[in-house]
Amino acid sequence: MNFIKKHGQNVCFAVIVLVLALMPLLLTAGVIKSTMVIFLGKCICFAIVAIGLDLIWGYTGILSLGHGLFFALGAYGMGMYLKLQATNGNITDFMKTGGLTELPRIWQAFEPLPMALVLLVLIPALLAGIIGFFIFRNRVKGVYFSIISQALTWAAYSIFIAMSPYTNGNVGITEIDPIVGSIRGAKHIGNLYLLFYAALAIMILIYAVAYFLVKSKFGRLLIAIRDGENRTYFSGYCVSDYKNFIYVLSAIIAAIAGALFVNFNGSITPSQMTISYSITMIIWVAVGGRGTLIGAVIGAFVINLCEYNLSSGAFVDIWQYIIGAIFCITILFFKGGIVGIVTEQLPALLHRRKENS
Amino acid sequence: MDQVLSMLFNGLSSSSIILLTSLGLAITFGLMRVINMAHGEFLMIGAYTTYCVQNFFKAYLPNVFDLYYFAAIAAAFAITFAFGCVLEKLVISRLYGREIDSLLATWGISLILQQAARSIFGSQGVFVTSPSFLSGGITLGGNTYSFNRLFILLVVAFCLLLVWFIQYQSNFGRQMRAVMQNRPMAQCMGINSRRVDCITFGIGSGLAGIAGCSVALLGSIDSTIGQSYIVNSFMAVVLGGVGKLLGTVFGSGIIGFFSILFENFTSSSIAKAIVLLIVIIFLQKKPQGLFVVRSRSLDE
Amino acid sequence: MEQRSTVLKINKIGVNFDGFQALTDVDIKVKRNTIHFFIGPNGAGKTTLLDIICAKTKPTSGKVYYYPDSNHEICLTGMREYKIVGAGIGRKFQVPSVFVNLTVGENMELSLRGNKDIRGAIFHRMTQEEKDSIDAVLDRVGLLDKKDFKAGSLAHGQKQWLEIGMQLLQKPKIIMLDEPAAGMGKPETFKTGEILKDIKKECTIIVVEHDMDFVKQVADTVTVLHEGKVLMEGTVTECLADPTVQAVYLGRGGERNA
Repeated sequence: MNFIKKHGQNVCFAVIVLVLALMPLLLTAGVIKSTMVIFLGKCICFAIVAIGLDLIWGYTGILSLGHGLFFALGAYGMGMYLKLQATNGNITDFMKTGGLTELPRIWQAFEPLPMALVLLVLIPALLAGIIGFFIFRNRVKGVYFSIISQALTWAAYSIFIAMSPYTNGNVGITEIDPIVGSIRGAKHIGNLYLLFYAALAIMILIYAVAYFLVKSKFGRLLIAIRDGENRTYFSGYCVSDYKNFIYVLSAIIAAIAGALFVNFNGSITPSQMTISYSITMIIWVAVGGRGTLIGAVIGAFVINLCEYNLSSGAFVDIWQYIIGAIFCITILFFKGGIVGIVTEQLPALLHRRKENS
Repeated sequence: MDQVLSMLFNGLSSSSIILLTSLGLAITFGLMRVINMAHGEFLMIGAYTTYCVQNFFKAYLPNVFDLYYFAAIAAAFAITFAFGCVLEKLVISRLYGREIDSLLATWGISLILQQAARSIFGSQGVFVTSPSFLSGGITLGGNTYSFNRLFILLVVAFCLLLVWFIQYQSNFGRQMRAVMQNRPMAQCMGINSRRVDCITFGIGSGLAGIAGCSVALLGSIDSTIGQSYIVNSFMAVVLGGVGKLLGTVFGSGIIGFFSILFENFTSSSIAKAIVLLIVIIFLQKKPQGLFVVRSRSLDE
Repeated sequence: MEQRSTVLKINKIGVNFDGFQALTDVDIKVKRNTIHFFIGPNGAGKTTLLDIICAKTKPTSGKVYYYPDSNHEICLTGMREYKIVGAGIGRKFQVPSVFVNLTVGENMELSLRGNKDIRGAIFHRMTQEEKDSIDAVLDRVGLLDKKDFKAGSLAHGQKQWLEIGMQLLQKPKIIMLDEPAAGMGKPETFKTGEILKDIKKECTIIVVEHDMDFVKQVADTVTVLHEGKVLMEGTVTECLADPTVQAVYLGRGGERNA
């Protein structure tokens, strides 16, 4: 019993990983379709963003309404590299339509793979670092920060739309093959396995890093900052540095997830960097359970699986109602999300019932 | 010279629209510390109300069609006021003191309202016909100042006066400020704080309805109309400093004028980024906004 | 030399809050290894003065100097608060402010000296010595058996103790306590006083307090503040005997200002 209490979240994570690892076998056995595996691959990416968001929101109490931006920056970075692979480093069609005659500098930078990998992490990290430096230094916090991050996403989104010769505007970067080669069709199933297990490995790695962080004194400091920012300053910690660090870290995690996501999705559009997409990410964490890493992972899978199954056919209109209501009810009555229900509210209920009888 | 005048007018007009949406926010956010993400959707409700009232007049009262707009303003206020009261009772009242949670819960509401609008009115935008006395404009020195926008200026001035009067001159305003400043004390003085909360939130929402009525004149109405106004309005409130009417006016002015100014030199998307930058720079000097209410507690 | 005996010099401090003059030309010298009390009626500016020393509030005029030892002078005005803490000045706030979602032990851990940068926070593991020092302090303030309890579950008085414990653990050169006895009963207050007397061998203690018995028990020096100005300074007996002090603080004047 004690073991479960102490390591419950790791056990739970291990079970999720195990189940996911079995999926390709089920595909081989013909139980599920390859679209399902691709979809689960996307879910893994979402779970990775959720872990990052949980670090900054669940643990540190900073609500960023702009992680979609970092996710999309990572995705665009990877997308640009992959697109150039497809065109052999030549100028793309939408650039020609946009009036460009040669490949823009910024695209050229993404042609070599190492460079692309560095940039797709570095650009979001720098953006978060600079914005964070100025905002956190002056104790802009709470909802003020949320509003600024929202405006940041909004501005970036409109810039991406406006710079359509470089970004292909609303359409985004489409028709790209993953880094491992095409994953569609039975012939390329090996590629799909490779990509899927790579994503799974990255998720495990990110989870491990996040777990290490929150179990160290650093994790307790994040909670201390959430509960009493000024008190933490007066305990001798430069809170603004910590906040900026966690902001940059979660931005990097989001960018990595975005870069992975493009591989599964085959395209990236600016809709992933909207405010509403950013809040959707928050919904995953809230519903799963903020302040526990496993909650973020569970939330990302549960919500996306529901959406996947419900948002087709007759339910397509109803889904928005459902997600809105779930989110609202979670915030109102189940602050701890699914994890909170299982670990606190349910035991409390059982306990009360036992006392009554 | 003409260009400067036209820019000034555009700046004023855009500030006034931001101010109109911010006024309601300034009440719900500034006084009640509730971040209502569904504020934009209340604006949308106001706009759709205008559309419905217009259709009603077209069908049944074509003779006095021009008067529809005044009926629409009243109806928009009433409906959003009612929505606001219901929302306050069901959701907000459970979230006082949890600012960030109020933001998230109202986002859930906003998702529902947006989908409802799509279900009822479709995802295509709809238009309202301006009353005939608002079509056209005055031409002065090569610039045309449309009556629509001039009229909105009037509406804003009226709303501002109304809010000022309610907040600082009326008996209810005194109760309102008393509750927001010191809830337990106000309750001890016999003020029904729950009722005050509800009505205050209703007024804030009602103002969004009037804002919706005004923006309905400017372009198409769809389920995302609220989102396009809300970001600027939040920024205006943050910039102005929470809880001060004058701050909101200044905040809206700064954002409105700067947006127009930079749009002239660059594009509207770059202008957004620059305005955001300006707000961040402002906050460097005044992290609590331009007008500050001081507090002595360490961590609220 | 002045530095040898003075640890903190408050030099012509003035504060103006939007037109309200909270402090005017306050000059105070705090002597090393003493217990120095700021007393005065409500609104005299005691808490504001602490706020200025630890940089929660910026003074409109004047400066605060700190002498960690006899050869160094640090100007605290303009420094950021976490640096001031790092320099050896700790503060307990009027309203108990512990980290409610962390256990008592974790609260203490955050107060340990050193490793306050991000790298230290991530990679540093507590040494046995550090663990022992936490246990020792917790034992002293009577919270050792609560070590694994959430700080939020403690009673008001226990939170006060925890916060005092966190200050003790930091081993600052100067400890500032804002109404440490508030919410404590007589025996607890007395115990606090004895602990303060004990630790003043290692540091200097500045206290803001209303409880006169507590002041009489431990104070070495008392500065009486009134309406933002220093009314007088001296030992407890001197201050209590002074007719002006009696008028503003203990007599009718005190009530008027309350």
